[in-house]
Amino acid sequence: MRRWLLVCLAAAYLAGVWLDGVGSTLPSSILPRSANYFLQVSALFPYAAVASIDYRAEGWVCADGANGANGKWEELDTRPYFPLDADNKENRFQRVMHFYRDNRPTMHALEAYLMNAHDAGLHDDGIPRNVPIAGVRFSSLRIPLPQPGEPLTRSERKPLSEYPESERQLFYHTRRSKLDARCAGEHDGTSEESD
Amino acid sequence: MPTLGTRIADWLDEPVPLLRLEIVRIAAPLAVLGFMSSRLAHADEWIGQAGFRVPDLGGDWRQPLFVPALPDWLAWTLAGVMVASGLACAAGYKARPSAAIFAATLAFVALSDRLAAFTVSKLSPVVMLAVALGPAGSILGIDAWRRGGTGERPPAMQPIGSVRFLQLLPVVIYSASGIAKARGDWLHHPLVLWSHLHDSYQTPIAFALASMLPGWLWTVFQALVLAFEMLAPLWFGWSRTRPYALVFGLGMHAMIGLMFGPVVWFALLMMTVLLAGHTPERLVVKWSRPFAA
Repeated sequence: MRRWLLVCLAAAYLAGVWLDGVGSTLPSSILPRSANYFLQVSALFPYAAVASIDYRAEGWVCADGANGANGKWEELDTRPYFPLDADNKENRFQRVMHFYRDNRPTMHALEAYLMNAHDAGLHDDGIPRNVPIAGVRFSSLRIPLPQPGEPLTRSERKPLSEYPESERQLFYHTRRSKLDARCAGEHDGTSEESD
Repeated sequence: MPTLGTRIADWLDEPVPLLRLEIVRIAAPLAVLGFMSSRLAHADEWIGQAGFRVPDLGGDWRQPLFVPALPDWLAWTLAGVMVASGLACAAGYKARPSAAIFAATLAFVALSDRLAAFTVSKLSPVVMLAVALGPAGSILGIDAWRRGGTGERPPAMQPIGSVRFLQLLPVVIYSASGIAKARGDWLHHPLVLWSHLHDSYQTPIAFALASMLPGWLWTVFQALVLAFEMLAPLWFGWSRTRPYALVFGLGMHAMIGLMFGPVVWFALLMMTVLLAGHTPERLVVKWSRPFAA
């Protein structure tokens, strides 16, 4: 009895892996999400990459503590705050962006996390530790792929400012009114007005 | 005329070399711990309260289960249990309970942090559960060594359902992966493989090969991989093609491991399962002789 139960479970698992991989919605329609999740192991690299994608963050630095109008965006290196696999796309910041960049609660939580992390002043992140930031913006870099035969350069991380605007795609930023308020010293708690 | 059920039962009852399971029991935890090592070094960021956590999204499809952050001390404790159980399993010390505990810790972290979870995260609990359900640690490792002076050597060949499962697993994965690729871009876009060589996964070897090899060769590699994966049930099901399929599969994973940085651990895990499950029987039996009856 125990043996056949195990055989049936093993067969169901293998069938689930296969069905999920070939694009069937049957497993996800009958299993809890947490169980279905463990079946998602086989649809590996089915599509061509259209660009080399990297995600970046910037912090809004108020000008001499004055209002936001005179501030500027400066790149905020997220790697000290996401140290796990810091230099490749398995980094957790890259993964948050990959999965949740259009999910507002997650982006708000990320904004709060990065602002608190910078303000704690424990790491060098490209913006001086004693300079508070009033908000963040997140963008993706979509670096064109070379064609075969073209001269290649090693994949490397360059400062955001070295990439042309055409390769950047902004998808989240703290609202200007919020930046102004924070630069003026008004505490606002959460950042639910960001978009 | 035997029924399908009888055939399956016969196949399951057919003795297989115990060494096949021992290979997975030893090598799989090491590959998995290699994958986990970068995460374990930052356990407080990974599953604890020190790092960023995706909030509870209340049923969002991207969040299979919301698991709150562990207190940092508990995150480090869990990391310690994972390492200890994985190493104990590989060393053959209380191999089956070690494998079960290792599998449980792996399942927990896969659910706890989707951000750092990849194929190895989802596959490894199942592989280790299969090890735990079989006679792991019977002929190699600390348990076997301690039993050595007191009992008989276990039979080298015995029916082992876990081995049958581990033999089927890569074939099922390849088959589904091949079909997914065919449904995706692999049949009509000649440079799918080439397109994946240029991001942060790129190793010096990937860069060197991308610089040296002509573009058309990447299309040939792409076609070979697609044919291998889509027809994996044939290649591995037919005894005549199985050794060639094993060599191709090992070569494919070796290249993946060499060319795509952190994917090396997935490659090693798959190579372990392939080697254990599909190395020709006569070789495995020969290798088993010093350890089993």
